[in-house]
Amino acid sequence: MRTPKAFPAAVSMPAILFLLCAFFTWATWTEGAPSGREGGIAVAQEMLRRDRLPPRILVVGGDDANGRAFVEAACEALATRTEVLRALGTPQQVRSRVDQVTADLKTPLVVVATPEASAWTLWSSLRASAPDLASLEVLGPSARGRSAFLSPTNLRNVADQIAVIAIIAVGMTMVIITGGIDLSVGSLVALSAVATAWLIRSMGGASASIGALVAACAGAVALSGLIGVFSGAVITAFRIPPFIATLAMMQVAAGLAFILARGQTIYDVPVAFTSLGRGEAIASLPNAVALMLFIYSCAHVMMVRTATGRRIYAVGGNAEAARLSGVSIARTLLFVYAVSGLMAGVGGVITASQLKAGSPTYGLMYELYVIAAVVVGGTSLSGGEGRIFGTLVGAFIIAVIRNGMNLMNVEAYTQKGVLGLVILGAVLVDRLRRRRSA
Amino acid sequence: MQGAKFPAIRPDRFGSREVKHMRRIGILGVIAALALGAVSCGKEKPHVAASQKPATPVIGVSLLTLANPFFKVMGDAMQAEAKARGYEVVITSADMDPARQKDQVKDFISKKVAAIILCPADSRSVGTSIQEANQAGIPVFTADIACLDKSARVVSHIATDNFAGGKLAAEAMIEAIGGKGKVAIIDHPEVESVILRTNGFREVIGKVKDISVVAQLPGGGMRDSAFKTAQDILEKHPDLDGIFAINDPSALGAVAAIEKAGRMGRVKVVGFDGQPEAKQAIKEGKMYATSMQYPDKIGKLSIESVAKYFAGEQVPSETLIPTGLYKKADAEQDPSLK
Repeated sequence: MRTPKAFPAAVSMPAILFLLCAFFTWATWTEGAPSGREGGIAVAQEMLRRDRLPPRILVVGGDDANGRAFVEAACEALATRTEVLRALGTPQQVRSRVDQVTADLKTPLVVVATPEASAWTLWSSLRASAPDLASLEVLGPSARGRSAFLSPTNLRNVADQIAVIAIIAVGMTMVIITGGIDLSVGSLVALSAVATAWLIRSMGGASASIGALVAACAGAVALSGLIGVFSGAVITAFRIPPFIATLAMMQVAAGLAFILARGQTIYDVPVAFTSLGRGEAIASLPNAVALMLFIYSCAHVMMVRTATGRRIYAVGGNAEAARLSGVSIARTLLFVYAVSGLMAGVGGVITASQLKAGSPTYGLMYELYVIAAVVVGGTSLSGGEGRIFGTLVGAFIIAVIRNGMNLMNVEAYTQKGVLGLVILGAVLVDRLRRRRSA
Repeated sequence: MQGAKFPAIRPDRFGSREVKHMRRIGILGVIAALALGAVSCGKEKPHVAASQKPATPVIGVSLLTLANPFFKVMGDAMQAEAKARGYEVVITSADMDPARQKDQVKDFISKKVAAIILCPADSRSVGTSIQEANQAGIPVFTADIACLDKSARVVSHIATDNFAGGKLAAEAMIEAIGGKGKVAIIDHPEVESVILRTNGFREVIGKVKDISVVAQLPGGGMRDSAFKTAQDILEKHPDLDGIFAINDPSALGAVAAIEKAGRMGRVKVVGFDGQPEAKQAIKEGKMYATSMQYPDKIGKLSIESVAKYFAGEQVPSETLIPTGLYKKADAEQDPSLK
């Protein structure tokens, strides 16, 4: 049977991802009321369906984009039919507004509020506070079913959360395909983030120009790449096991990050710097996600279509055979560790941009999440096989589990356990497959 | 194509066995889904009948870590207080990672929680996350650790009064060494709250003419590194009378060093926190006192502040909880000790 020609893991891991998504869509299904403009229109229509409209309606929302849109829409729809007052702000501000409104006139008041504001305990405390308000009616848009997981904002959120891990995992996939491992990536994220912030600070701080920002990012990524090259050189020149060499570099990079930052967080960066990690240049795709997709496409083409990619598989599959067929093992290894360093550097720059600061505490345990993403994605730890897009699926499996459990209110300790079991399960599958095909 | 050159390493070299593998992996997926299902079944049923009454409001909490009992106690207190007030609390741990905390806040926003309580993993980096919550109209409260980013709006900050706690520790020290002598401070100046502690301590000690602070050295805030710092201090100052350690782990490190140097009783130790092991050491006379923090009060008060906020009441922008001195007399009446 040769017709669907594909890796078992490459076929079934997307299936697992799909199952997980379906599961979380079901599990996070709640009754939620529409908010924003949509909610405002819905509640106004509900109100207009009544036989008699109350003489005065107070429309209430929080002073944020959502709340303002709600209040605007509801007022617009109701204003022609009855007297409409508005109150935007914190519960305390709304309370003083209600006090002011009820002091003027003694007609009963009806409140129309955003789903968020209609849940405020303010209303029950108002009812208890004065006999005039005892029968205060508060109306919010009625609830309809929605999945907290399967909403456009949340899906974007999941992609955005995993972008850094997924980008680093590209380099790690190549390293693991050669039969190696790179433990230094987490520390490199910290070093790169600190180096970016440090460079920006020394090139003008909060008033740094766009050119300076680009230079700082490039400098930090290059620094991480250089450290990757150094790891690769140590591994090839002295035949030190990658585990040991990169473990040492993990310490070195972490130390450098702390030295450069003097143990503090560097935060003198301009607001423009955050547009890399938090902006959305193409449609409504976060920049970090767009960059991630671009890197994955490039890496996939490189691994499948170019000689370099073939050499990487060859070195991991059988180093001796690769050497005899003229593949330079040293150059290939140097290349993959450099890529791994560069990717960690990119991850650090994105993290610094997202958090608008660089701190040596970033990247803690990232190496483990990255390795987990690679392994869950079907790359074998013994080298020679694996696919770039498999890793992307692996990264998303981890992201979806983490996000889904947060949305489901799973306790922090349980979260760790479940995530660990999933990683263990993936490695188990890898083992079983190995034994079978050996 | 290049593949022709290296036929043995094509990634699709597997064929006939794949169906079995797929089944195996499929089964694993089902097991994982079932495991998650089991986790979810303990919670309320996901399908709730539609009604006009809004569901229980959820408060999202991201603590610095759950490995330190201090935060566990704080989280448990939040849980209990929220239950009493009709809120549901989701507690997550940032595991000291600012990026992880950012993700948790994003999850809270997409979950549309009513309010968020944070113990920032980094006082600066947390700013962007709080701004995002601000934009989504979700009020943010901080507990124990403050946010130092001025562009982020925090409704209220609830923490220990570290400055007053430092002053209290100084008073205990004056009492312990009889109002005169040489004292040392085991410091951890990387943390804002610790700087306040040592400032408070120095303010009171500085007013006593007969007491001099002969050393103030970093001890890393941990027992093993503070042990080494204390050893160095004891070596340099053979006539030392007291050590103020900025937290209990550091104090216990100092106690170990004093024991090892055979100077137990001659050098008095005052700590900060009130962790069980330090209380035990106070009972055994190895430590003189500790300036007690109340993580349970911080937890309870932060939920109270959230409730007050939603009831439309005035919430102070900062609430500092005073520490209390814990001495041998307290330890002897403490039922939690052996």
